[in-house]
Amino acid sequence: MELELRINGVIKSLDVAPNELLLNVLRREGYYSVKHGCDHGHCGACTVLIDGLPRPSCVMLAMQAAGATVTTVEGLGSLHRLHPLQETFIDAGAVHCGFCTPGMLLSAYALLQRNPNPSEEEIREALAGNLCRCTGYNRLVQAVQRAAALLRGEDIEPISIPDSGGRTRSWDLGRASLEPYEQTGTGVQRVQVMMGQPERQIDAIKLVTGKPAFADDCDLPGLLHARLLTSPHAHAIIREIDTTEARALPGVHAVLTYKDIPRIPSTSAGQPWPEPGPHDQYSLDHTVRYVGDRVAVVAAETADIAEQALKLIKVDYEPLPAVFDPRQALEPGAPRLHPEPESYGIYDANRNIASHVHFEQGDVERAFASAELIVEGEYVLPQSQHAALENHVAITYWDEDDRLVVRTSSEVPYHVRRIVAALTGLAPRRIRVIAPRVGGGFGGKHDLIVEDLCALLTLATDRPVRLEYSRVDEFRSSRVVPSQIIRLKTGLRRDGTIIANQMLVLVNAGAYGGQAASVSAGSGLNSLPLYPCPNLRYSAQAVYTNLPPAGAFRSNGALAGLFALESHMDEIARRLGMDPLALRRKNWLKEGEPLPFLSQAQARYESPIPQAGLASPYSAEVRLAHCGLPRCLQVVEEQLNWREKRRQGQSGPAQSGRIQRGVGIALAMHLPTSAQSLLSSATLKLNEDGSFNLLISLPENGNGSHTILAQIAAEVLGVRPEDILIHLPDTDSTPFDTSSDPSSSLYACVHAVRQAAEQVRQQLLSVAARLLKVPAESLSLADYQISAPGGKSLSLSQVALQALYGEQPTPISATSSWNAACNAPTFAAQGVEVEVDTATGATRVLKVVSAIDGGHIVNPVLAEGQIEGGIAQGLSYSLCEEMVYDQQGNLLTTDLNDYRIFSARDMPETSIVLMEGDGSDPFDIRDIGEIAIAAVAPALANAVADALGVRLRQLPLTPERILHALYVVRQQAARPA
Amino acid sequence: MIPGPFDYQVASSVAEAIALLDQHGADAKVLAGGHSLIPLLRFRLASPAVLVDINRLRDLEYMQEADGTLHIGALTREVDLEASDLIRRRYPILADTARVIADPVVRNWATIGGNLAHADPANDHPATMLALGAQLVATGPTGQRLIPIEQFFTDSSFETTLQPNELLTEIRIPAPAERSGGAYLKLERKVGDYAIAGVAAYVVLDGAGHVTYAGIGLTNVGPTPIKARAAEQLLRGSTLDDAVIAQAARQAAAEAQPVSDLRGPADYKRAMVETLTMRALRQARSRATGGA
Repeated sequence: MELELRINGVIKSLDVAPNELLLNVLRREGYYSVKHGCDHGHCGACTVLIDGLPRPSCVMLAMQAAGATVTTVEGLGSLHRLHPLQETFIDAGAVHCGFCTPGMLLSAYALLQRNPNPSEEEIREALAGNLCRCTGYNRLVQAVQRAAALLRGEDIEPISIPDSGGRTRSWDLGRASLEPYEQTGTGVQRVQVMMGQPERQIDAIKLVTGKPAFADDCDLPGLLHARLLTSPHAHAIIREIDTTEARALPGVHAVLTYKDIPRIPSTSAGQPWPEPGPHDQYSLDHTVRYVGDRVAVVAAETADIAEQALKLIKVDYEPLPAVFDPRQALEPGAPRLHPEPESYGIYDANRNIASHVHFEQGDVERAFASAELIVEGEYVLPQSQHAALENHVAITYWDEDDRLVVRTSSEVPYHVRRIVAALTGLAPRRIRVIAPRVGGGFGGKHDLIVEDLCALLTLATDRPVRLEYSRVDEFRSSRVVPSQIIRLKTGLRRDGTIIANQMLVLVNAGAYGGQAASVSAGSGLNSLPLYPCPNLRYSAQAVYTNLPPAGAFRSNGALAGLFALESHMDEIARRLGMDPLALRRKNWLKEGEPLPFLSQAQARYESPIPQAGLASPYSAEVRLAHCGLPRCLQVVEEQLNWREKRRQGQSGPAQSGRIQRGVGIALAMHLPTSAQSLLSSATLKLNEDGSFNLLISLPENGNGSHTILAQIAAEVLGVRPEDILIHLPDTDSTPFDTSSDPSSSLYACVHAVRQAAEQVRQQLLSVAARLLKVPAESLSLADYQISAPGGKSLSLSQVALQALYGEQPTPISATSSWNAACNAPTFAAQGVEVEVDTATGATRVLKVVSAIDGGHIVNPVLAEGQIEGGIAQGLSYSLCEEMVYDQQGNLLTTDLNDYRIFSARDMPETSIVLMEGDGSDPFDIRDIGEIAIAAVAPALANAVADALGVRLRQLPLTPERILHALYVVRQQAARPA
Repeated sequence: MIPGPFDYQVASSVAEAIALLDQHGADAKVLAGGHSLIPLLRFRLASPAVLVDINRLRDLEYMQEADGTLHIGALTREVDLEASDLIRRRYPILADTARVIADPVVRNWATIGGNLAHADPANDHPATMLALGAQLVATGPTGQRLIPIEQFFTDSSFETTLQPNELLTEIRIPAPAERSGGAYLKLERKVGDYAIAGVAAYVVLDGAGHVTYAGIGLTNVGPTPIKARAAEQLLRGSTLDDAVIAQAARQAAAEAQPVSDLRGPADYKRAMVETLTMRALRQARSRATGGA
């Protein structure tokens, strides 16, 4: 049918089918700002304005837009003329991964059109249909308030350093003089010191203007669309699979099943080689091990034809007994998930144990025997999901040199290249992986979810192929944050001294164990060392079940370990009649003490993989140089008004009335990656205008790492961050990196960039020294120029021209690498105040206070944004997120309505305190994004316990769980002693 | 996924819409706001041969009081209901209901008629309409007929007594009598979710404070929207004191038919019906006696 679309002031005449959705038509027409997030109108990423009103274009037929005016972010403003909302979104640090940004901007725009002076509540309400997984919303609200003020003609003080205009400044080579000039001291723009400054995200403009920044934002001639057939059974053998009819369907170009590809044991976990986890996966297999497991994949002219073809594939399954609970999976006679002999690296396939991690020091049993008090507790963590707004997507094609290009939303580009090479049989030289901006990862994009199948389809068809997950696919067939059962046993003296501590963990690894080993290690390594005592034991088993596989997740297990440990600490304090903070202060890690578990002598990762990288990189004892716990705790205690509030709370009976309030505090520590050395590299080169290209293979997922790296390079090179042009990861051009995720790897990349910048700086100085005829040591580099002591100066551009085209031409560039384990943990204290309705069990979070000791803060706006986002994700995880299955292993929470994540209306007030380092090491840069989520759950559980006098040991803290716990306690209280 | 193929027809008048429905019968589906229907089409849970888009029927978007009745056009968007002075002032229970439906983006397009005609027991308007004793106007080829709300829903989810060639065109609600008041309360896991349980309560008192009318509707605690008749019976003629309210709330809980699902175990939901009924009745009483 013909559709006359009035879009962004232009009239387009399009031919659309009646059943085409507006979203698909808009993206087809190149309006890439309109994002595909959920298919249900739940997430708001596809929001457009229809006659000025926000509407999700995924639940609107294109034909319905006939006669209406459609507005997308492309029509809002451009690089040269940003709309005030686009301006304030950048300024307030409200743009993180940027995937939700266009929809968010449009909802905000519509609000300000009808209400120029909205209240905070009205803004939260207006943004409630647009989910964001990164920011925690408060910055978005602030940005809308500030745009409203601008639009009302009011002046506002910038939050971030305003744009210098450097990106578009004109450059006239014709008039460029190569002669040194006298520095007069006037008229020279002073470059501010970049480190520690609230610089704007260097890549935010493209995101607020809706530029095609993400993996799926491109089109290729002849592109085929792939769809995946997944298992309806939790465990089955494929007796027969017949694809004849599917292949015969017009428009179908390939149907692949296990019969069509080599059977190569592998792992989807994007970790450094040799991956420490089991190699128990096959791109396609004759056995399916969970509902949603891969069965076949189809490439066709359209997604619709591919979808139809899936229905024509005839599969004869022989269902096998399935097991979903790791405790049952360990029992003799339980169904075995991986009896196949080809898989390797499994710790004990006969008992379904994918991996096993054990650390021990001292004599734990003897210490328990001598303890004056033993406190035990079991804590249960739910299975949840990352729920990044951008779904997994890859596009693969042959380039002009017959090399396979893999364009993917991945956080681990070099690992993708190596693993795809192994699975396709192509040598790495024939594969090029491009990783554009990642639309939210949180660990979910550390696994290869679609890349291998997409590549195999391009091999089979010789055509470009796109494989994109739907939201249902995401929930059913990607990776999950695994459920864990954690048992704690602590031996104490009466005075509260911990003399022995034991943590036993059972991780529900799901059907494949790729990430299980690192997840198992992380829960203990990022919690138990908070309270070092001579006798410590940590033992974790990751157990196979017929559920989706465990993936990596923000905080590397700290979230789970700390929920257990920090809830348990409050329980111990209650048993001792001691203040929970005093108990912590008595036992916590102190400066100068050795970090438990870190030296090789104590760590025993039992990976059967030869040379697997899980052996501790620390050859000797690591002593803690600095510990910010005391200051963090003090700040949170004060800001939460702990003493006062604690007196009011404490156990239900003391408070009467339906609504009861409580406060809780928990501590956290986080080591970016304690088990593996990191290798990060950076290449920096100078351009004629004094700008620099920075090539790195660390992806940008919205955590601001590229801005931080640009700030660091700019600081060393005397320019502004916008003069550092970052090339996104591309294995053909950006240097090698073992990054296993952008947040942790930032630590290593910072040093690689710093070294490369310092080398480039030296090269610049030596060229300038030659030109100015003075020793290089006497020169200074700042404000885009190199100055000699007498006042003679050369601009960077002059030096560049002289270096590149002068008498002794030499390029100014350097590549540098950094390879070291991080041994400076981040510390944090987090506090929560809650209000619980004792008649319904509904919990409302009133306030969250976070104090983070994260070393030197390069960019306070980005750091606070990361922390706020972590708080939001932590609260959402603690209160409402849980993947639920029926008894056959069918997932019930398959959309963003049933699996509910926090919206703007759910976020409480937050207070964030960044502990400034002592300044002695400006490159003491530690991970901040991960720890922010780590202690939210236990602080919340402790607050609920304070409000109600009831301890909940299972997340999420749903209303019915709270009410049930209250009921049990009341029954017990009513029973005569 | 994209929807299966269908013929797309835009109705430019109610008569044209009905003619299309009459022509295609059960093969046709009415497209209003589309927030429920289009996901059903996308996931192929519905595959109509013809889609009749009624969004151009602006004459079905209205709210007005006449002859002691509030008339609401079936295509009235939730956002307009929520923002209407008339509704906020005179029918606060309706404003309560509209403002807890999903999120504002949805409410920009979702319609009151769609919310009722979709007959999803998790939708919020049905309970409120049951409490208010609304009447629905069904327009068909032979004219209009009035369907009392309690006869609109059948015993099955997602099913109404509308004929395939009928269009829901108007909702009629008795104008508030003196000393009347109502409230809709919804317990959610998270703001904007479907209800764990929802309760609408509406009462009319006489000069002596006795209940002359009581309506209680329940959301998402059964296969269909539930009218708690026995609880209403308990209230009628009473003085609506706390003891009666507690008794009626227990009765309403007994009338609920919840099942255990993602939004909680059945017994929890039943308990919540009791709690919410108690609160809704208290608020209705307060509004009936001049409070907020």
